[in-house]
Amino acid sequence: MTLDIEFSVKNLDFFYNGDNHALKDVTLPIHRNQVTALIGPSGCGKTTLLRCFNRMHDLYPRHRYEGEIIFEDRNILADDVDLIKLRSRIGMVFQKPTPFPMSIAENIAYGLRLKGVRNKSELTGRIEQALKNAALWEEVRDKMNANAYDLSGGQQQRLVIARALAVEPEVLLFDEPTSALDPISTAKIEELVVTLKKHITIIIVTHNMQQAARVSDMTGFMYLGELIEFGSTEKIFTAPEKKQTDDYITGRFG
Amino acid sequence: MDIEQKRKIESIVALVFSTLAAFAGLFWLVFILGDVIVHGIGALKLSLFFNDPVPAGMAGGGLRHAMVGQLMTTFFATLIGVPVGVLGGTFLAEYARRTKYARVISVLADIIVSVPSIVIGTFIYAIMVRPLGHFSGWAGSVALSLIMIPVVLRTTEDMLSMVPWTLREAAFALGAPYYKVIIQVVYRGAATGILTGILLSIARVAGETAPLMFTSFNNNFFSWDMSRPMASLTVTIFQYAMGPYDDWHQQAWAASFVITVFILILTLLGRFVLKWRFKQ
Amino acid sequence: MATSNKKNVLDLSFSLITAVASLSIIFIIVGIFWILVRESAPAIHKFGFIDFLISTEWNPVKELFGAAANISGTFMTTALALLFAVPTAIGIAIFVTEVAPNFLKGPVGIAIELLAAIPSIIYGMWGLFTLAPIMSRHIEPFLQKTLGKLPVLEVLFRGTPLGIDILTASVILAIMIIPFTASIARDSFNLTPAVVKESAYALGATQWEVVKNIVLPYSKLGVFGGIVLSLGRALGETMAVAFVLGNNHKIATSFLDAAATITVTLANEFTEADSDIYLSSLYYLALVLFVMSFIALAIAKLMLIRAERKYSR
Repeated sequence: MTLDIEFSVKNLDFFYNGDNHALKDVTLPIHRNQVTALIGPSGCGKTTLLRCFNRMHDLYPRHRYEGEIIFEDRNILADDVDLIKLRSRIGMVFQKPTPFPMSIAENIAYGLRLKGVRNKSELTGRIEQALKNAALWEEVRDKMNANAYDLSGGQQQRLVIARALAVEPEVLLFDEPTSALDPISTAKIEELVVTLKKHITIIIVTHNMQQAARVSDMTGFMYLGELIEFGSTEKIFTAPEKKQTDDYITGRFG
Repeated sequence: MDIEQKRKIESIVALVFSTLAAFAGLFWLVFILGDVIVHGIGALKLSLFFNDPVPAGMAGGGLRHAMVGQLMTTFFATLIGVPVGVLGGTFLAEYARRTKYARVISVLADIIVSVPSIVIGTFIYAIMVRPLGHFSGWAGSVALSLIMIPVVLRTTEDMLSMVPWTLREAAFALGAPYYKVIIQVVYRGAATGILTGILLSIARVAGETAPLMFTSFNNNFFSWDMSRPMASLTVTIFQYAMGPYDDWHQQAWAASFVITVFILILTLLGRFVLKWRFKQ
Repeated sequence: MATSNKKNVLDLSFSLITAVASLSIIFIIVGIFWILVRESAPAIHKFGFIDFLISTEWNPVKELFGAAANISGTFMTTALALLFAVPTAIGIAIFVTEVAPNFLKGPVGIAIELLAAIPSIIYGMWGLFTLAPIMSRHIEPFLQKTLGKLPVLEVLFRGTPLGIDILTASVILAIMIIPFTASIARDSFNLTPAVVKESAYALGATQWEVVKNIVLPYSKLGVFGGIVLSLGRALGETMAVAFVLGNNHKIATSFLDAAATITVTLANEFTEADSDIYLSSLYYLALVLFVMSFIALAIAKLMLIRAERKYSR
């Protein structure tokens, strides 16, 4: 079976503060409608790589990209890329839940409003659909106007996922989405990730190797800014080619 | 025009407005400081520092009386305000640490930092000037010290609270009593922070006018006597600027220059000390 | 045993000394309140607690006094000053936290703080010698020609543009409170977690949308606290307005009228009060000012504490 390529990362280098070389010559494909996991020890560059896909680094001064990330035949690292449009097509979910200071309904509606959706019934319908897709609808349907901060941590995280889903992105980036959550909430999110990939391409950064093994189709192992090994999750976890990968997944890492 | 373009233009317009606001703020700073510097330096003469005033309306004369008066009033205010403030702050940060009392006093101190200083002048007038029958430098110093106390107290409290508790435990473990731990260990750890608070509190009171008008009042003659009315640069500026003589206006500008430079130096020094300390 | 007793005595006395020093705060507040009440008692007795506040009379010759003109002057200058200062200050805070390139953030921040350190007498004198002439020659005639021609607003710009009036005083007052408001707004903006801002950007929000929809709602309590704090300070500001307000005890109907605030009246008349009832009336004014600003400052402080607590979790 051949897989469509969503992103093609080519010889990507990234620098913080001018000379801090955080990503070194990273090349990998991201397949459409698959879950790609990025694993590796803290500081290996996996989050840095993730934040390249929606150009999050551009919010801060003194960063530099070299190389390419091709998305729909265009290099999204080019200077003339419309970041507003790019980011509305590539959603992101962070480590800690990040509800906005508004009601549950308004949180979901936020991205839609930015896109110019004003019609009330359309908003209501899409809010409901997004919440259903994020498996949160049953829990919040009676308190849509409650403050988003009143939800539990796990619910907040699913709210944030629903918010990202509402604008119907083609890609979702997850940055250690369960590291602040309890095991039950974690299981729900993992389940969600697996369901979502039917329609969406997912990249997930995690330092929980079991999680990567459970949810992902492809896995990349990173170390010190380099992509050491990339392949199907099954292969990476059962028969890695590189010794460093083997050391890491078996917990023998120094 | 599509919606993204509209949003982007809206964003740029709004941010341009905020930039303009920032430059408007800076514009006033440059305008006021520039004006004080230009007029002040133009009017500044060495004789201002060494001469006392001549009778009103005559040219010449100086501000020696007001400079010395200001320094003395501020000096004695510091002498009263700093110990009370530092000790009070010590109680809140050490003996009363994390109690309701400490929180309440802290909040009240923050509030009186901003209470109208002219009200403090009327207060001291009632308890010191009228009972004694005359204005005095002492009354001025006490009025200023009441403004200093809350400032020094709050900075001391904050700075002592930042000294890690383990440092105290280490000293306790050597058998030192609490007061020795505070004086020998905690104060030392927080010294630069407290010093900053003191510098900033002096800068704060050095420019005060309103609380002096009803306490130390003013004096056209040179005087060392704190029990008599005492001149100050700030009250003199008020009197001279409102007066009819051009020579007075010139001297008011010169006095403004002197006092502004003094306060800005203290403020920058305070910031510098703090920065230097946290770099270490 | 003897040495340990001595230690205990020293420890106890040090703690007592510091405790007494901390009580000075209570002494100052209670002392001021008590003295002001005591001193204003004759005026309250003679003119009535409420009647004094609503009477526009201010006649030292007939010894008849009322605070209405002073209170209205205080409120008018303060309100107008906040109207000028708040948008500017919030703009500055947005600039410093969101717009300015890194190398400008520090210097602009320091400049704003220096503006706050300049003593009010300097603002006052500058207002008298520099701003008032500019106002009377250029700005006020211009306003009369433009806003002064509009149907309803016209009332507010009547009179001769002398530059010694509510408008000039409010502009100076605004310049004075901008730094306080701006630095508190900046601190509140900075309490907004970076990751929440990032997630708005990740949805495709523009910079202004992030400020408007995330940063401002997140920090509104703190910003509002800062505004109320500035209000408290503006109410009690003396020297910045004393030069340019004209000490006129009439309720102003135009921005170009001379007026008096409580502070200006105190500054000009306190040492000249030649009768007991005159002085007592001035004390009553001081009491009104003290209570008003104390309430404003207390509300501001509580809001700022709540703002900090809410987001330090």
